[in-house]
Amino acid sequence: MTTQTFLLPDLGEGLTEAEVVRWLVAVGDVVAVDAPLVEVETAKSLVEVPSPYAGVVAELHGEEGTTIDVGKPLITIGTSTTPAPAVEAYREEEKAGSGNVLIGYGTPAGTGSGRRRRPRQLVGVGSAPAVPAVPDERAVEATAGVAVPAVPSGRVGAAPATAVPAVPAGGAEPAVPANGGVPAVVAGGAVPAVRARRAVPLVISPLVRRLAQDAGVDLHLLDGSGAGGVITRRDVEHAIAAREAGGTNLPSAAPAAGAPAPAATGVPTSGVPALDATPVPASASAPVGAAAPGGVVDSRTGLLELRRERVSGFRRAVAATLSRSRAEIPEATTWVDVDATALIELRESLRTASDSGPGLLALMARFVVAGLQKHPELNGFVDTERDELVQYDGINLGLAAQTARGLVVPAVVGAHALTTRGLDAEIRRLTASARDGRLTTHELSCGSFTLNNYGSFGVDGSAAIINHPQVAILGVGRIIDRPWVVDGELAIRKLTQLSLVFDHRVCDGGTAAAFLRFVADAFENPSSAFADI
Amino acid sequence: MATVEERLLPSAEPVQLIDEHGVPHDNPQYGMPSADQLVDGYAQLVAGRKINDQAGALVRQGRLAVYPSSHGQEACQIAATMVLGEQDWLFPTYRDTVSIISAGVDPIETLTLLRGDWHSGYDPYEHKVAPQSTPLATQLLHAVGVAHAARLKGEDTVVMALCGDGATSEGDFHEALNFAAVFKAPVVFFIQNNEYAISVPLARQTIAPSLAHKGIGYGVPGERADGNDLAGLLAVLGQAVAKARAGEGPQLVEAHTYRVQAHTNADDASRYREDDEVTPWLERDPLKRLDAYLTERGLLGDEKKEEAARAADRIAAELRTGLMEEVSPDPAELFAHLYATPTPQLKEQAAFLQDELAREEA
Amino acid sequence: MTHQKLTMGQALNQALRDAMKADDTVLMFGEDVGALGGVFRITDGLTAEFGEDRCFDTPLAEAGIVGMAVGLAMNGMRPVVEMQFDAFGYPAFEQVVSHVAKMRNRTRGKVTLPMVIRMPYAGGIGGVEHHCDSSESYYAHTPGLTVVAPSTVADAYSLLRRAIEFPDPVIFLEPKKLYWAKEEVDLSVAEPGIGTAVVRRAGADATLIAYGPTVPVAMEAAEAAAAEGRQLQVVDLRSIVPFDDETVCAAVRSTGRAVVVAEASGFASVSSEIVARVTERCFHSLAAPIRRVTGFDIPYPPPKLERHQLPGVDRILDAVDDLQWEDS
Repeated sequence: MTTQTFLLPDLGEGLTEAEVVRWLVAVGDVVAVDAPLVEVETAKSLVEVPSPYAGVVAELHGEEGTTIDVGKPLITIGTSTTPAPAVEAYREEEKAGSGNVLIGYGTPAGTGSGRRRRPRQLVGVGSAPAVPAVPDERAVEATAGVAVPAVPSGRVGAAPATAVPAVPAGGAEPAVPANGGVPAVVAGGAVPAVRARRAVPLVISPLVRRLAQDAGVDLHLLDGSGAGGVITRRDVEHAIAAREAGGTNLPSAAPAAGAPAPAATGVPTSGVPALDATPVPASASAPVGAAAPGGVVDSRTGLLELRRERVSGFRRAVAATLSRSRAEIPEATTWVDVDATALIELRESLRTASDSGPGLLALMARFVVAGLQKHPELNGFVDTERDELVQYDGINLGLAAQTARGLVVPAVVGAHALTTRGLDAEIRRLTASARDGRLTTHELSCGSFTLNNYGSFGVDGSAAIINHPQVAILGVGRIIDRPWVVDGELAIRKLTQLSLVFDHRVCDGGTAAAFLRFVADAFENPSSAFADI
Repeated sequence: MATVEERLLPSAEPVQLIDEHGVPHDNPQYGMPSADQLVDGYAQLVAGRKINDQAGALVRQGRLAVYPSSHGQEACQIAATMVLGEQDWLFPTYRDTVSIISAGVDPIETLTLLRGDWHSGYDPYEHKVAPQSTPLATQLLHAVGVAHAARLKGEDTVVMALCGDGATSEGDFHEALNFAAVFKAPVVFFIQNNEYAISVPLARQTIAPSLAHKGIGYGVPGERADGNDLAGLLAVLGQAVAKARAGEGPQLVEAHTYRVQAHTNADDASRYREDDEVTPWLERDPLKRLDAYLTERGLLGDEKKEEAARAADRIAAELRTGLMEEVSPDPAELFAHLYATPTPQLKEQAAFLQDELAREEA
Repeated sequence: MTHQKLTMGQALNQALRDAMKADDTVLMFGEDVGALGGVFRITDGLTAEFGEDRCFDTPLAEAGIVGMAVGLAMNGMRPVVEMQFDAFGYPAFEQVVSHVAKMRNRTRGKVTLPMVIRMPYAGGIGGVEHHCDSSESYYAHTPGLTVVAPSTVADAYSLLRRAIEFPDPVIFLEPKKLYWAKEEVDLSVAEPGIGTAVVRRAGADATLIAYGPTVPVAMEAAEAAAAEGRQLQVVDLRSIVPFDDETVCAAVRSTGRAVVVAEASGFASVSSEIVARVTERCFHSLAAPIRRVTGFDIPYPPPKLERHQLPGVDRILDAVDDLQWEDS
């Protein structure tokens, strides 16, 4: 025998409860279908409730005088029939309802908070779901032939998939894909040529439009990176930043401490054909394109324009990576002053008459590699698609190198397997290649961690920009004499500052500090460091 | 030569051919229906009573959203369809479930509205039964239109338009009678005066001498009958239908009956009337008197009674089974029946809902 | 200060009682409001307390009820009438639009109509056809009418008192699915008046704008969103006409993102009006288009399909997800 529980139905147009006035049956009674079970009182009336089942009364779910909510058990009856599966399914359906108090097996007043429906997959920046309830003009753009990249970026908060545009040979202006910055998914896979300027630029929101207006950015000159060519906030911010940075001929912009300028980071990574190998004439680093003489007064500042420089493909690519890094990575910086006196002494000790020995940078690199082996969290990447943190087995150590064209960061492939001398050789080779413009794409894009020695710029610390998609960058500043305390007494020592910028998603401050401390200790006391590497 | 009053005003007393004790009474104008008709009518009354009571139980078991019962009024319900032919239309209200089923509509289809599956569950053209109307008196105008169209087409259709006493206060009642009269539409306006419009008694609804008296204002002949006397109703309604069919224009018939139960399961009648007001009407029950009349004349043996009871039980079981079986309506239907061609907006919304349902966690 | 736990129905009943006590000219009439006390018991006990000249049943005719109210108001009374369900008020539509709304205007202010038309409004009770309509757009679109919809028990009392005291005709929409909702209230505390919207919940990320029965749903959605890390602000309009541009726009400007939530079919609705006027005024603060979560453009569904029509937490959160967060 099975039991069936009869839930209190809504007895009249939205009632939520009823009071048991009088039971007409007792446990153990045999009841027929439609036999009167109980009298209940609702807000509207007194109702006699008949039995939906035939069987033996098993349980009464409320004493006389108590109140039962609609949808809660009223009585349980032992029957010899099982309910039709469809009935059960319907009850479940009704419980999911948002207010339908019909059909007895009712809906409780509060159906519980929280979603019961999977959120939509968002398709690209700002676009409506695959079947938009509100057709927006971006979707219309898509159907009009400007393809919308279908990048399932999952839940809200996932960043749009913007990849860096291709940079062609010779440093000329790149052919910009249709969606300016976003590789268009066009039939045939061909990348279309530069598309015509829009008469009325698509801007993602009035706020962004205002942002552009206030900064004097001409929206007509921007390529929107959003779906359908929509100009996003990032696009406007890039334009503003690029204008501020590109106006002068800085050697790749000094890494000012704390300044959000494009600091000592590298070139586009991730599957983008970057620089070609042909020698770059020195003038390429100068402002490309007509350096228009002044004559134009900027309305916002009242100042004459000194110069206008077209943003080169190289610079645009760099900017995109830098911006992406800042946008996506929740970075934190920790730094420490290091007494590098012993390290320098070690370096000098390795110099002989016939062999100049490994350079300081190689020594530093060796310790950094050791440190990464101890703290592999800082040597990996964040796989946002799979929501996983990846740590590499092995280190390709990127090293910033200054070239005439700008800053590049080739990596020593397999740095973990090299001796200090081996590292030194590789570093020298890469530096020469960089100077000659002969770095390969792989060398430029395969780094898993970056060591950035900017001491030659004469500054100490830097809140550098991580070379996305890496997760950390260690900066080493100038080494100069500074007062220091050694064995309780003032001394003049060779001090340098180490700045570690790390992606806080991959580890916490403890790990970052531990790595930094390891490297610092190694610099300060290289001989004792050997015990641990 | 009959005067206007004689032609148009109802009989002084409601026509009654069988009184509450089952005793027959002669009437110069209306003859007693045949024994066959009455026996058949009796079986239908039994079935109708069973439908009412079973539905009443089902609504208290949560299987129907609401059930406005015609318990005690079954004679009106049955008579209204017994006098109709295949070509005739019935325009029911929300209380006329029994009438609709007796017109041939499948019981489960009939209860679709009250069950909550859809707004109407049957094809009106199948048995010529209009969808049940919830707002009062609005359907009376539709009835006039259907009747007039039939006339234009040369068909001899008569439309039986049902309404209650409360509905006669609505403006549409006035307009319907006036239009029907002016256009000489073959409509029988059948008022089931059960003396209550939810809690409002007839005395507050009108102070007309009777609702049938209202006809004269439109030039429509009015007649009244004992609403619990199937024989009297068959005679009066039969004659009204015949006159309308003969081209004499609309007819108004008022049946005096009583709403023995509350307005619906959600109503508490004790708030506005006393129990002892109800009690005498239980004695006037349509089944009781017909049973007595037929049994007395040997027209209704135990066998026939049992047969009627069994047939009624079968319908009740059909209702229970049918309503226990859950067939969830398809949400896609929400968008299907707005226009001949769905608009782009509707298609979009349908897709929107489909997407939502696809994302529903089980 | 007297706190009591009341249902919305009880609060409305108390408001009528107190209003009738305070002013002899206040009348309450309609179908089944007398002895029965109303099909939702909103007028329970009023006839017993004030007599049949003050609270009474009428014949079954909505145009008659409203038309007679016009006359009563013209001659010194303050009628409060009930349309038994929102959709049953349609026979009176002519009276409402042609006269209730126009009398002051027509007579240059010489004849004014202090009257209230109460309607059990909107859905969510599993009712059959015509019992769950949201007809506010028709009334909101008619100049000369004041249209209000309380969402809390306290507001039900307060707004009805104010509506009855109002010098002009008020369409008073009572969310019937909230009739049984219970809250602890202190009726001696006056809530803000007609024409004032209220922020029910603070939040910096996006604004939900709702009125009547969708306010509790919006609040529930805000709770759910908070669990997901998003803070939603909820604005209860309370008054559709006159519309509180100031409060609503200040709210939307503070977040830059908004979703309007209402049960009525979306096309040509009050929600459309809200989006239009807020966009006009707050354009430069907007980080995303304002979205609407409304009923579909279909007749209100039968009980078993009702849940698909009603804006629920999920649908609201889906709309919130669409507010261009990636462009923050």
